[in-house]
Amino acid sequence: MATMLEMMKSNVEKNVSEALKKAQDVQGKLNAVVTFVDPTEQLENYNKNGLMAGVPIVLKDNVCTKGIETTASSGILQGYVPIYNAHIVDRLQAEGAIVIAKSSMDELAMGGTNKTAYTGPVHNPYDLDRISGGSSGGSAALVAAGVVPFAIGSDTGDSVRKPASFCGICGVKPTYGRISRYGIIPYSSSLDHVGYFTRSVRDAAVALEVLAGRDDRDMTSSFEPVPHYLDQVKGNLKGKKLAILKNVVDVIENKEILDCFNKVVEEVKKQGAEVKEVELNEDLMKAMLPTYYLIANCEATANHSNLDGIRFGLQKEAKSCEDVMIASRTEGFGSLIKKRFVIGSYGLFEENQDKLFRKAQKVRRLIVEELKNALDGLDGILAPASGTVAPKIEDQNQDDLSDSYLVAENHMVLGNFSGYPSATIPMGEVGGLPIGLNITCHPFDEGNMFDILRGIELITGLEDKIKEVL
Amino acid sequence: MEYEVIIGIEIHCELKTKTKMFSSAPTSFGKTANSCVNEIDLGHPGTMPCVNKTAVEYAIMACTALHLDIDPLVKFDRKNYYYSDLPKGFQITQQFHPIGRNGYVDIEVNGEEKRIRVNRLHMEEDTAKQFHTNSGTMIDYNRAGTPLIEIVSEPDIRNGKEAAAYVEALRSMLYYLGVSDVKMEEGSMRCDVNVSIRPKGQVEFNTKTEIKNLNSISNVQKAIDYEVERQKEIYENGGTVIQETRRFDEESKTTVSMRKKEGNVDYKFFPEPNIFPIQLDLNWVKKIQESIPEMPKVRKQRYIEQYGLSEYDANVLVQTKELSEFFEEVLQHTSHIKMAANWIIGDFTAAMVKSGCSLSENPVKAEYLATLLNMIQDKEISGKQGKEVFEEVFKGKDPKQVVADKGMKQNSDAGALLEMITQVLDEQPQSIQDYANGKDRAVGFLVGQVMKKSKGQANPAMTNQLIVQELKKRIG
Amino acid sequence: MKDEAYFKQLAHQLMFELSDEEAADIKKEFETLNKQLELLENVNTEGVEEMVYPFETPTSFLREDCVENVVSVEDALKNVHKSRARHVLVPKVVK
Repeated sequence: MATMLEMMKSNVEKNVSEALKKAQDVQGKLNAVVTFVDPTEQLENYNKNGLMAGVPIVLKDNVCTKGIETTASSGILQGYVPIYNAHIVDRLQAEGAIVIAKSSMDELAMGGTNKTAYTGPVHNPYDLDRISGGSSGGSAALVAAGVVPFAIGSDTGDSVRKPASFCGICGVKPTYGRISRYGIIPYSSSLDHVGYFTRSVRDAAVALEVLAGRDDRDMTSSFEPVPHYLDQVKGNLKGKKLAILKNVVDVIENKEILDCFNKVVEEVKKQGAEVKEVELNEDLMKAMLPTYYLIANCEATANHSNLDGIRFGLQKEAKSCEDVMIASRTEGFGSLIKKRFVIGSYGLFEENQDKLFRKAQKVRRLIVEELKNALDGLDGILAPASGTVAPKIEDQNQDDLSDSYLVAENHMVLGNFSGYPSATIPMGEVGGLPIGLNITCHPFDEGNMFDILRGIELITGLEDKIKEVL
Repeated sequence: MEYEVIIGIEIHCELKTKTKMFSSAPTSFGKTANSCVNEIDLGHPGTMPCVNKTAVEYAIMACTALHLDIDPLVKFDRKNYYYSDLPKGFQITQQFHPIGRNGYVDIEVNGEEKRIRVNRLHMEEDTAKQFHTNSGTMIDYNRAGTPLIEIVSEPDIRNGKEAAAYVEALRSMLYYLGVSDVKMEEGSMRCDVNVSIRPKGQVEFNTKTEIKNLNSISNVQKAIDYEVERQKEIYENGGTVIQETRRFDEESKTTVSMRKKEGNVDYKFFPEPNIFPIQLDLNWVKKIQESIPEMPKVRKQRYIEQYGLSEYDANVLVQTKELSEFFEEVLQHTSHIKMAANWIIGDFTAAMVKSGCSLSENPVKAEYLATLLNMIQDKEISGKQGKEVFEEVFKGKDPKQVVADKGMKQNSDAGALLEMITQVLDEQPQSIQDYANGKDRAVGFLVGQVMKKSKGQANPAMTNQLIVQELKKRIG
Repeated sequence: MKDEAYFKQLAHQLMFELSDEEAADIKKEFETLNKQLELLENVNTEGVEEMVYPFETPTSFLREDCVENVVSVEDALKNVHKSRARHVLVPKVVK
C-alpha cells in the first residue's frame, strides 16, 4: 500500500499548484504562511525518483532557505535572505520535495502558542478562535488543513508534539542528532530538534528516511545508519512492552481526554501489548518546567547574540555602531523575547550560574536518569500529549504553577532533556477539537516507535484527517 | 625602597592552517576584504562550528615544545560579549579545559638560565579586522575564525630583558614547529603583558596593568622598562596604581592609558553546546609529539657539541630554521664544517640580503655550495676565485661547470709554476736584488707577477713557496 | 528584590532597551522565576554533574583542513545595509 507521500508522485504539477493555491486561499483564515515560494524552478529540476518526489511541503520559518527570506517570525530578521541552505532543505530537495511556503512560528521559536509571530497569531483549522499551538504552529495548521501533507517544524520543549495534538495530526521529534540542525535558526542548542508533521504514521516513517543522517557540519549529528524505516512499520502491537506515565494521567482534570486515552490503551492491550504504569519522582516532574526554562533561556540568549543589525536583518540608523546594535535589537525583538533574554543572561552571570544554569543542568541529569530507568525493558512510554484541547487565542498565558500545568502541559520536554525520540498522533476529539497521544522511546529506536504508533493509528482510524477551512 | 617586578605574558598566535578554526573557509593574509569567508564566519543565523583537525594538531605540537600536559579530551566554551568585530556575539574558546597545562620555557639572560612556567595553552578563534575612518568603521571578516592558540605564562618574569627573551624563545620555537608565521609586525603573533610591582618581601600582589598591542620584541622590553619605572614613581609618591589597559607609544617610548578596566567584565562562560567533547586518539597524539622538529635551543647545543662551532656561529645558524637546515644539507656533501659555517654566515647571507631573496626562495643548491667549498679546500681553485665562482653558483650554476667554462682551475702543478716563476725572475732582476737586500716584500710582488702571467690561476701559496725557493737558489 | 532599574541595566548590557512596561513585566516574571526556583531547590543535586549534552559519549570526528566552502564577496555582503570597498560599513565604533 503506497503511503500518501508516495501517491503524490503522479500529477505533480497539479498537486503543487493546488497546494499553493490552497495555501493562499486559507491564508486569511489561518495566517500560517510568512512567505510564499514560487515552485517553478523546483518543478523543472526535481528528482522524479526521490522518496518525496513531487510532494509540496512547507518549512518552518527558522529553516534557512538560500535566496528565500527567512525571518524566524521575528522583527529582527525582516529582510534576511540566507546565503545558504539548511542541510534538511538539501535533503528534502534531493528526494524531490517541492517547497511552497515558509510557515509562521512563535518568534525565534520561543513560545507554545504561535501568538508571538511578527505576522500575528496562527489560527487552528478546527476552530479559528483557537491557537494552533507553538512554536511550530504554522506548519501544524497547514498540514491539518490539508494544504500540504508534510511540513517541517522544530521541537525544543514540545514545539512539534504539542501543536500536533492541538491540530489532530502526527508530530515527530526524532532522537537528538538524528537530523542535522545545520541551518536551523537555533533556540536552545542542547534541547533543539528538527521535527516534522504528517497526517499518517507511514508518511512519518518515509520522511525520517529522507531527513536523517550524518552531516559533518553539525558536530552533534549522529553517525547511526539510517534504515528504511517503512519496513519496520507493520502496526503489530503484539508483544510490545509499554507503560503509561502515571504522573501525567493523575493530574489531568479533563475527564473526556482521560476517557479517550484509556479507551485507546484498552484496545492496545487487547491487541496483545503489555501495558503497565510507570511513575517518575514527583519533585523531578515538577522541576521540569523551571529546568527547561533556565536551560533554554540561558542558551538562547547566547545563541542570538549574533542578531545585532550589522551583517543582516533589521538595521536601524544611529550615530555609533553600539547604538546601531542597541536600536536594532530594541526594535527587532518582541517583549517576550527580551524578557527571556534578560532571564537567560541573569542565569549565566558567573555569580548566579551555580544556583541557576548549572543547577538546572544537574536536575536535567537526574530527570533523564529517572526517565532512562523507567524506560528500561520497555518499548515506549505513553501519555496524553496535553491535558487540554487547544486554548482560545484570547486566553492569557497563565503563570501557572499548578501541578496540572507543570506536569501535564510540560511532560513532553522529557524528550528534549533526554534526546529520546518522541511523537504525538491524534487519539480522538473532545468537543470537535483534536487531542493527541504521545509516546517516548529509546534512542534511535524510531522504527519501533513508528511501528507502535501505526498500531495505535489502526485502532483510532485517525489517518489522513483533514480539517477543511474554506 | 626595593621593588620586585611581577610580569606575566599572554601570547596569541595565529596558526598557519589552510582553513579556519571552525569553518572550511580559507585563512588569509592580505587578500581582498571579505573574500575568505562563509556563512559560519559571518555569524549568520543557523550556522554551527566544525573543529579543524590540523589546528588541533598544531596546538598539540606547541604543547609538546612547551612541555605542557595535554588533555586528550578536547572541550570548548563560549565567551560572551558584544563587539562589532565579533560576529557571533561570543567567541568559542577553551576556558575550562585548555588543551595544554603546566609547562615551561627555559630562557637565557646574561648567560644565566631561567625557567619560566607556562600556565596554559588553549585554542580559540580570531575576531574580524576593522579599521576606523572618520566616516565610519570598516569591517573585514577574512580574519574572523582564524585559529589561534593562546599561551599564558605564570608571573615568573622579573624584567624587560627576561620578557624579551621569553617572547623570543616562544617565537622561535613556534616558528621552528611551522605552526605559525609568528610575525609580530603582521599580527600573527600578539603579545599582551601584565605588570605589577611590590615591595620586596611583600607577599600579596599589587595592582597590575595590562599593556596591549606590542608589535615587536624590543617594544615589549621597552614598554615594560618604562612601565616599571612609572609604577615605581607612583608608589614613591604615595599614589596608587590604577588597574587599566595601556598601550606603548613608540615615539615617546612611554605607555599610555587606553581604557580603564571597568571592574571585571562577566563573560558568562559556559560549555559550547554544539561541539560534543572530542576524545583524541592517543596514538595520533603520540605520533605528532614524536615528529616535532628539533627545537632551536637543542639544535644550537648540538652544533656546539657535535660540530664544534662557536656559540656565536651556532646561534646565528639556528636563528632561522631554513638557514640551519641549509647548513646541514651542505654538510651532507662536505666535511669542512667550519668553512661551511663561515661561508653561510658570511658570503651566502650577504648575497641573500643583497638580492632580497628570502630563504624560502634560496637560489643556492646545497650540493653546489658544498662542491665549491671542497674545491677551495682541495686547492683546485683559490679562495679569491671561489668568491667569483660563488656569484655564479648564486645564479644556480654548477661550480664545476663554472670553473671549467672560465678555465679557472687553479694551477698547482709545480713544473708549470716553476716555468712561469723562472720567466718572471728573469724579467724582474730588481726584485731579486731587493730580496737579497732583505726586502721580503719582493716576494709578494713576484707572486703577483706570476698570478698575472697565469691569469690568476696559479696556486698562490705554492707559488710563494716556490719563488722563495728559487730566489734562494739565485742569490746563492 | 531587584528593581526595574536593575533589569534596564541588564538589558542594556545585552544591547537592547526596555520600556518601563517591559521592565515592570520582567520584575514580575522574576517573582515567578523565584517561585519556580524553589521547585529546583527541592531536588538534591549534591555530587551530581551538570548535563551539558543529551548524549555524552565523546566523539572523535575532526574536520580535515581543506577549503570546502567559501562564499562570494557579493553573497557575504548581500544582507549588509551599508558597505564600502567590499567592507561592511558601520558608524564609528566607540571603544
